[in-house]
Amino acid sequence: MNNNLLNILSNSSKDIDNQQLMDYLAGKLSEEEKHQVELQLVNNDFMNDAVEGLDGVKDKKDINLFVEQLNRDLHKKLLQKKHKKKKRKMLQQRWVYAAVILILAIIIATWLMIVKYQGLKP
Amino acid sequence: MNPDRYQHISDNTLLEKFYADKDNHWLGILLQRYTMLLLGVCMKYLKNEDDAKDSVQQVFLKAIAELHKYKVAYFKSWIYMVAKNHCLMKLRDRQGKAPSVLNEQTMMMEEEVLPVQAHLEKDRILDAMSAAIEELNKEQKQCVTLFYLDKKSYTQIAEITGYSMMQVKSYIQNGKRNLKIVVERLIKQP
Repeated sequence: MNNNLLNILSNSSKDIDNQQLMDYLAGKLSEEEKHQVELQLVNNDFMNDAVEGLDGVKDKKDINLFVEQLNRDLHKKLLQKKHKKKKRKMLQQRWVYAAVILILAIIIATWLMIVKYQGLKP
Repeated sequence: MNPDRYQHISDNTLLEKFYADKDNHWLGILLQRYTMLLLGVCMKYLKNEDDAKDSVQQVFLKAIAELHKYKVAYFKSWIYMVAKNHCLMKLRDRQGKAPSVLNEQTMMMEEEVLPVQAHLEKDRILDAMSAAIEELNKEQKQCVTLFYLDKKSYTQIAEITGYSMMQVKSYIQNGKRNLKIVVERLIKQP
């Protein structure tokens, strides 16, 4: 009883995994398990908002489909960004190579001109 | 991307890995952990499945862009704040109203543990708690007692009291908040 009273003041919250959340929404949990989930909900606004929102999805089976679809899209977008980054890096590298070649060409041309100029001297 | 492979890695470690090599792969794993919760939050505010899905995608994009710009200390609170603000802005566009936007500090305050609890003796807090419960209104007292002391679920409390599930939730949440206020007041008294 005493510890239960103190629990009211506690804000500690453990994470509820997605499966447990789905089971809660589907009403598959025992009253004791439900109470454990609800104890976390009271302490966690994020989780509480999420449960209230997910409860509004007409067909609960759709939730997992939506999540899978969103994760696939996320993965695709991250891959696209990775490719773009790689492309940008390669383009930058090309400019570096071009600059190095140009500098080398200028040095060689200058050296050749000096040699030629010195050869012309009597 | 198999999230189970990385289950043992904490959010903070994933963020540290990302900040170390700036590889979006780590962000992917981290964001995937919250897809379902974000979908729920967006559904709660927007009340439309397509809008909610669309918003989760936009929250992901915003998170990826922002995390490249600055360091985030508490990812879970931060991503919740990003999603909530996104929905509030969307609602404002719909209704032409300006809802209050949250910042990370207010979010952290909500999750803060009662500061006095760590410093005061257990007995004194318990006395204050017992007295504070008596100060709650009838509905809040009934729901808080059934939930915390008798360990009943929302459904059971709704059946016992005849209140709706929403009322039960609200009485518990408001009751808990009021209890904290009263306990703080009582233990500050000489």
